[in-house]
Amino acid sequence: MYHFWMIPSQFESIEAMISALSISVQSTSKKVITREEWEKKLKDVKIRKEDMNKLVMNFLVTEGYVDAAEKFRIESGTEPELNLATIADRMAVKRAVQSGNVQDAIEKVIHLNPEILNTNPHLYFHLQQQKLIELIRYGKVEEALEFAQEELAPRGEENQNFLEELERTVALLAFEDVKNCPFGELLDLSQRLKTASEVNAAILTSQSHEKDPKLPRLLKMLIWIQNQLDEKAAYPRINDLTTAALEEPAI
Amino acid sequence: MESKQDPVAAGKGSFDLFNLSSRWASAWAESSSAAKTDEEEPSYLNTFNSSGMFQMVSMDKMSVQYVGSPQHFYDVGAVQANCPAPTRRIAYYFEMTVKNAGQKGQIAIGFTTKEFNLRRKPGWEANSCGYHGDDGYLYHGQEKGEPFGPKYTSDDTVGAGINYSTQEFFFTKNGELVGTVCKDIKGLLYPTIAVHGTNEEVTVNFGKQPYRFDIEVFILKEKLKQEELIDKLTLSPNVSHWIVRSYLLHYGYQDTVNSFDVESGIMSPHIPTPQENGFHEQGDAYELSNRKILRQFIMNGDIDSVFRSLHEWHPQIMQIDTSVICFLLHSQRFIEYIRAGQLMEAVKYARAELSKFFTIKPLDDLLEDVIALLAYEDPSKSCVGHLLHSGQREFVADAVNAMVLATSPGSKRTEDWAFSRLEKLLKQLTQCSLERRALYGEQGEVFDVHKVVHTRRSIV
Repeated sequence: MYHFWMIPSQFESIEAMISALSISVQSTSKKVITREEWEKKLKDVKIRKEDMNKLVMNFLVTEGYVDAAEKFRIESGTEPELNLATIADRMAVKRAVQSGNVQDAIEKVIHLNPEILNTNPHLYFHLQQQKLIELIRYGKVEEALEFAQEELAPRGEENQNFLEELERTVALLAFEDVKNCPFGELLDLSQRLKTASEVNAAILTSQSHEKDPKLPRLLKMLIWIQNQLDEKAAYPRINDLTTAALEEPAI
Repeated sequence: MESKQDPVAAGKGSFDLFNLSSRWASAWAESSSAAKTDEEEPSYLNTFNSSGMFQMVSMDKMSVQYVGSPQHFYDVGAVQANCPAPTRRIAYYFEMTVKNAGQKGQIAIGFTTKEFNLRRKPGWEANSCGYHGDDGYLYHGQEKGEPFGPKYTSDDTVGAGINYSTQEFFFTKNGELVGTVCKDIKGLLYPTIAVHGTNEEVTVNFGKQPYRFDIEVFILKEKLKQEELIDKLTLSPNVSHWIVRSYLLHYGYQDTVNSFDVESGIMSPHIPTPQENGFHEQGDAYELSNRKILRQFIMNGDIDSVFRSLHEWHPQIMQIDTSVICFLLHSQRFIEYIRAGQLMEAVKYARAELSKFFTIKPLDDLLEDVIALLAYEDPSKSCVGHLLHSGQREFVADAVNAMVLATSPGSKRTEDWAFSRLEKLLKQLTQCSLERRALYGEQGEVFDVHKVVHTRRSIV
């Protein structure tokens, strides 16, 4: 019987070699696809013009670009998926919220479809909250207090989340310099846009239309699929979506 | 007016429009036939390749019964389905109902590879997996299994499935999920059932009857999981806005862009104007008016004006009269004659301008389709009727658009002007998805842009 003895230090260096080897094997186990190969494969991928036109029309319609949608219909022959007249109504509501005319917006929504506010208590609350914010913004303290007590407090009692938001909004009244207080961001344009977007979505849903355009979702899918593919392959990626430029694979 | 070197423009033209002409052929083929080649699905038990004497498969090939009594562990009556589980989907599933558990209920359900020894229960051998009824254990490649779920017996319905998204096997009992296990078997897998006791009998269901387990909801949940992950990703602000704008510019939809810019200013004041953004889209807006005019001519069927305008603005495009762009325009002129019912004019035109293309591959095949329009009294109802649709006009308009973009001094690489940014993004999406599936052994779903465009989202 042969016994093979090793000196401990030799053992360690061999261990180190083995782990170094296995690391290098791991890093080269990704499939490498050159730019040339990739571009060749891309040539075989067919995207229908009709589908792209539909995506663009869907974007214009969902985001409310009425005139652009009408012109696009004429120039490309793509039919809009929604009646363009209903878009105009929806956009009027959105614009009203964006410019701070919340009461006007609420009335328009009720006129469009009274069910919308009934079936969307969150939306109704946020519209009311926005109205309160606007009153505070214009320094109408008495009106704000009355409005908060009569209209908003009852809602706050029904729902913990509403109550918290109500309290944050009312807290604005405690500050002289409203813009720079802890909850000052409620006065930003972004808050109006948030509410406007919520209204837009609710109206679209009530019209049995998807509330979000499909294009951003496809873009997210692209990001996701590239991340997934990164685990197994090195290939030309598109890192900047706005330029859609292919970048050399990182090896 | 830029004057390009003829060989460059011509080289670009014939090289890239070659691709457009292959698009012509495939675009219509796609729309007329069914989308993909469907994968075969298991539908009955494979009696041919079974373990012989100790099990009997019913006439309808959906049931198995053990005959005689088992003597050892190598006379199992295992049966596979007639074909392997299809892979190009999120998940595959089938069920088995125990008609008679005999004395010991030594029944199994699972998946095996083609070469599996059918005298053994699925799971006892390498490259197989099985959920056994007598002990409720899961066997995953060796005779020793591990506790997994409940035992099952007469009148129980158990199911086995493969989840390609998570690369797992999953098993169910009487409509409830029992558990999952990692699938590390590569290659095609056959649904397999087995009996190993006197009079034990099972019936299999490959989908003809409703399943006990709600597989649809299961698959939907998988889809939603993925959708949720994707939803969580963030995009840089306004990226969709710019991509849409770039698309409109690329194809020359000038009126739309103008309205879009005006409306953006009103409705989305937070989005900077193109000038403010410093977004380099000079390439997209190149010769916007001319391209818009050309597209309008073509969509109105006025090809003569197109010839005239191109000769005036970019004579080099039409320089080589056997180029693909010339073929497309001349064919379209011919098609317009047919549309107007002017058959004699059409014939004259074909003789004068189209006959030369018969010697050029692959244009000759396309030309045959075009000329065939003459053969029909009502060409719109014929198999080449699609040529008379506005879709064909749009195809030609896009080709002309691309040729004009090619004359831009900024564009060096053909890829720069041939496709809009949106198209490049969608192609990348499709290609990455195909590549990923390939690397996972061709398993799972692939993103289908056409499907996404035409389907409503599952969650609100």
